[in-house]
Amino acid sequence: MVEAFYELLKNFNFLLIGAWETLKLTSFSVGIGLILGTFIGMGRLSRYRIINYPCTAYVEFLRGTPLLVQISIIYFGLPQVGIQLAPYPAAVTALGLNSGAYIAEIVRAGIQSIPRGQYEAARSLGLTHWQSMRYIILPQAFRNILPALGNEFITLTKDSSLASVIGVSELMRSGQFVISRTFQTFSIYFGIAFIYFIMTLVISRIVRYAERRLSVG
Amino acid sequence: MNQQATNSAASQEILRIENLHKRFGNLEVLKGVNLSVRRAETIVIIGPSGGGKSTLLRCINRLEEYQGGKIFLDGVDIQQIDVNKLRTRVGMVFQQFNLFPHMNVLQNLILAPIKVKNMSKEQAIEKAHLLLQRVGLLDKIYAFPEQLSGGQKQRVAIARALMMDPEVMLFDEPTSALDPELVGEVLDVMKNLAESGMTMLVVTHEMGFARDAADRIVFISNGVVEEEGPPEQILKQPQKQRTKEFLRRILE
Repeated sequence: MVEAFYELLKNFNFLLIGAWETLKLTSFSVGIGLILGTFIGMGRLSRYRIINYPCTAYVEFLRGTPLLVQISIIYFGLPQVGIQLAPYPAAVTALGLNSGAYIAEIVRAGIQSIPRGQYEAARSLGLTHWQSMRYIILPQAFRNILPALGNEFITLTKDSSLASVIGVSELMRSGQFVISRTFQTFSIYFGIAFIYFIMTLVISRIVRYAERRLSVG
Repeated sequence: MNQQATNSAASQEILRIENLHKRFGNLEVLKGVNLSVRRAETIVIIGPSGGGKSTLLRCINRLEEYQGGKIFLDGVDIQQIDVNKLRTRVGMVFQQFNLFPHMNVLQNLILAPIKVKNMSKEQAIEKAHLLLQRVGLLDKIYAFPEQLSGGQKQRVAIARALMMDPEVMLFDEPTSALDPELVGEVLDVMKNLAESGMTMLVVTHEMGFARDAADRIVFISNGVVEEEGPPEQILKQPQKQRTKEFLRRILE
């Protein structure tokens, strides 16, 4: 038992490097998801079917299929049709597309939470649809959905562990590597869980802080 | 007004509404509204709720599209005018103020002139100062909407609409959401605006304002203009039965 935790301590730095990779992977993916989700979320509210149908289909498909399958399609499946991605870009793509779907739903709800009068007032001043969205609706919507976005970030931090199956050396994969050398399954997996827990805890605190700052201004 | 009366009257017409029809699904709200508005005229629109007053205003700046009839602004069919350009020429003030809560008063005022009219920031700020002074709220220039009373919010909303130099101002029940003691300050601003020569269409239940500030009262009921005329005539000697009933109910 002592030896087990000794191995954990000895390899802790190595795990922290994996954690740093997890954080980067997640941040990139959420960044992509945020851009994608903002447009798709707006698209779902479009009164034009040619815009809102594809957006709805996108959200439904990505929410209705397992992330592990999505990662597999992109990393193992696409090469067969000539698109070969390295593990890291493949993981970012899969996680980004996936979080894009969830964030689209969050953004949609956020936009709908802003009273219609705000949009009408903006348009009545001569602002275009896009200007009204950019300057009036989205800034207010994002303030409202910050907690939900924080949740999505936390979910994705945990889900990014699935990238280990395609060989991205993030936290989970680093842990498995340590285990393959030390055979200390209990302490190392426990250590991994502990690090994930600390990361998500810190993220949720940061979000809560940001929330408070924003609600004052 | 005596010399060339017809001619000058025609050239003074800024807004003309012809046989306007508007439906929401199966519900016909406007059933052929006709109205002509002269430059600098203040028109107060009264009538029972659901009668189409607000809808009429919202058709004029195309917040609502209509199915039949025509609206002319300065002789041009508004369907021929770019909608965003039209809205800079026809300002609107809403019952719920609709100030942008994430911006302070100054930002509320200068956003549209800068983005829509390409006004320089310095110029917009200068104009904002003038207009805030005019509505008596220069000291609130950096306040956020939530720090203002309802009356102050509505005065800011009026200033915000005026930033675009509109030719016509639409007021959609501007005092209906206010506590009674705050109604006066908003009406005062509106009276000043009317006296300064602004063309105004005001939907309101404030009969005092109608009596004092209106050049003409238009009574709309069931989607048509039932009766129109100068305040003395409409308020004291209404001709139509519906007008009489409405006034009796509202003045009780």
